[in-house]
Amino acid sequence: MSTAAAGRVRSRTEQTRAPRRGPRLSFNGAMLAPALALLALLSLFPFFYIIAMSFSRVGLLGGITLTWAGFDNWTRLFTDSAVGASWLRSIVYFALTVGLEMTLGIGFALLLHATKVLRNLSLSLILMPMFMAPVIVGLLGRFLTDSTYGLYAYVLTQLHLFSGDLLGSPTAAFLSVTLMDVWQWTPLVTLIVLAGLASVPGPLLEAAQLDGANYVQRLRHIVFPSLTGVIVVALLIRSMDAIRYFDIITNTTAGGPADATKTVPIRLYETGFRFFDLGYAAAIGLSMLAVSILLANLFLRMLRGQGVTS
Amino acid sequence: MLGSREPAGLTRRQALARFGAGAATLALPGALGACGGSGGKAKVAKAGGDPWRRYAGTTLNFISENTAPTLAIGANLAEFEQLTGIKVKITQLELSALVQKVALDFASGLGNYEVIYADPYQILAPYHKALAPLNQFQDDEDLPSAHDMGDFIPTQLEAAGKFEEADVVYALPYDAPTMIWMYRQDLFEKYGDRMKQDLGFDPTPSMDSTWEQYLKMATWFGKHATKDVPYGTLHMAKQHDALMNDFSNVLWSFGGDYFGKGDKVGALGATDPGESLLTKDAALKAADFYQRLLRVASPSSLGWDWTGAAEGFIAGKAAMAPLWHEDAATVEGSALKGKVGFAPLPKGPARRSDMYGGTGIGVNATASKDAQRAAWLFVVWATSKKTQLTNLKSDVGGGTPTRASVYQLPEVVKARKPPSKIPNILTYGAIEEAWKPDNIGLRPKIPAWNACDTAIFTALSKMLADGGDPEKFMRQAKQGVDEAIANQKELA
Repeated sequence: MSTAAAGRVRSRTEQTRAPRRGPRLSFNGAMLAPALALLALLSLFPFFYIIAMSFSRVGLLGGITLTWAGFDNWTRLFTDSAVGASWLRSIVYFALTVGLEMTLGIGFALLLHATKVLRNLSLSLILMPMFMAPVIVGLLGRFLTDSTYGLYAYVLTQLHLFSGDLLGSPTAAFLSVTLMDVWQWTPLVTLIVLAGLASVPGPLLEAAQLDGANYVQRLRHIVFPSLTGVIVVALLIRSMDAIRYFDIITNTTAGGPADATKTVPIRLYETGFRFFDLGYAAAIGLSMLAVSILLANLFLRMLRGQGVTS
Repeated sequence: MLGSREPAGLTRRQALARFGAGAATLALPGALGACGGSGGKAKVAKAGGDPWRRYAGTTLNFISENTAPTLAIGANLAEFEQLTGIKVKITQLELSALVQKVALDFASGLGNYEVIYADPYQILAPYHKALAPLNQFQDDEDLPSAHDMGDFIPTQLEAAGKFEEADVVYALPYDAPTMIWMYRQDLFEKYGDRMKQDLGFDPTPSMDSTWEQYLKMATWFGKHATKDVPYGTLHMAKQHDALMNDFSNVLWSFGGDYFGKGDKVGALGATDPGESLLTKDAALKAADFYQRLLRVASPSSLGWDWTGAAEGFIAGKAAMAPLWHEDAATVEGSALKGKVGFAPLPKGPARRSDMYGGTGIGVNATASKDAQRAAWLFVVWATSKKTQLTNLKSDVGGGTPTRASVYQLPEVVKARKPPSKIPNILTYGAIEEAWKPDNIGLRPKIPAWNACDTAIFTALSKMLADGGDPEKFMRQAKQGVDEAIANQKELA
């Protein structure tokens, strides 16, 4: 073999042996690829379709047709005072439900953690609402608050605290649907925090107790700092749910009275599936998505601050 | 001859024809197999046999609001299956869910529901192009026709069956709930003399009763009869379609209307309804009166739609209420049996008006041609005189017939007076008056009605909750209506 030929062979061999540059699909990646491609198709196609819808007038008869409408739907979104009012209601609702659920959930978790008697039974009872479908919670809530035969309405009337229909007065209706959500989802926060409490170092707590730290001090300086990551996770989960809260309101007040419970998801449903103004509904839906992503990022940043995620 | 095609018991000729069709079916399995299967695929038998059996083996899907007549139809389906060999699957939904499903079915073009409960305002007006004109089936010699179209109560055929064109029928009147005045007869008997003395007029509900008198009576009951009822009146005033219905009775009787082309928009419907009249003097007076009326009504009214209002009345929450006449069956089945009277709603300064809430059933034009023809058979049967009578007497439902002749049948006439085996017919005196062309209350039948309706009942709900100047809220309603009409024009 000539020197030149040997050099070509060596060079080819080196080329074959040299590591490939650029991204390379691992075995695991290759196995996951079909599922990921399908998932991407299922989520990306509707996502881009909704974006297209938000810039169109959508006709239904004779198949769905999109007619270019420029920024009309988006301009309308940012100038629509009714949608603005719905956002305001959603923010108040969000603050109330998430605030109450976190406070009560942490409280119940601490109580359960400290309880030695009938702990499992108490936990089972507390968790029950969480296992119900939200639509059932809505129907149950409507039944219990009904002024004709509802138990809550009856008790409040007998106590002279409220007469009339709980879902018929704007403030009472808003509070009622808020409390229904709190009733259903506080147990989830309780469960998450209870799991977190199990990881609080026992010797540290004992040492603090021996050093004379009282219960509040132990909570403040040991328990809560250990729980921060878990609490942020619970906050993240509940926040994502609270933004798209729909089932209970639609089954109880449907947005009324006087629009008092018409949050953004209810308005989105009304625009999309009552008025069939699907272009505008797409714009409202995308704005909800943007807010959800912003909130999720905020909480993820908080989690990173706690070293829970990388 | 039209009359010969009315579904009835099996005649010898029909039995022979049916036998013939059955034999043809056995002889030609391959041919039938090629015509499709169940689930909306129509099977077509050879022409010439019993016209009712031409689509035997087909399965139809009927989507309907969860109403009493559909419950009764559901309980009576075996008769239709025996007559035609067609199976019918009924999907019953709350009205808004029904509208959503139907609209999406029309958009998909799949025609999954061959028979459609075509609410005139939420389905017929916006989607009439997706409903098959029924004239083609009525005129088809190979199909049974709807017996005597003139028998349908004319105002109902126009309101529930047509859109813009007087000679095209998209749906046959299927039910006819109408708002009437229900009152506690026992309480009127107990307190009548005192009321007459205090109020200065005979309180007994009659053709001459007015809304102002109704308000005075409601106030009186609320003050002097609290041992028997906590309030004089109750209403369906939830932020819901029900609130628009309840208010409309007052609006029209005060001479107000929703749009400039009022009568035409209500009866045949229109794409362009004309100018919104909600800020006109008559509408403002009506709103002011309605606000005063709701101030003396049960406060629970603000949380009640029609179901809640009927339940409240049955639970003895008020002495009077404007309710749908089909609720009579439930009222008479309750502890109030024999204690409730029925009258047309009171008059206002301009006229009497009773909201009509009837609906027709139509055929989905996106279904296959054979499925449409099979669906027509169901439409004809479900709206026939015989079926309407059966529904009226049904234990599970309680129909509201749309054919004038049903109300003249001897057993139905006999049932008009208590004790009655057909409680809905106890309301006959009230509905007969309500359905007169001058009295029937027809809301606008326009493609943008869903959005207009929402703007109206939202503004009314705010007016009742806020208790402020009605003019402010009627301006809001008008603005919402104008925006809805403008948006609809853009979408069109």
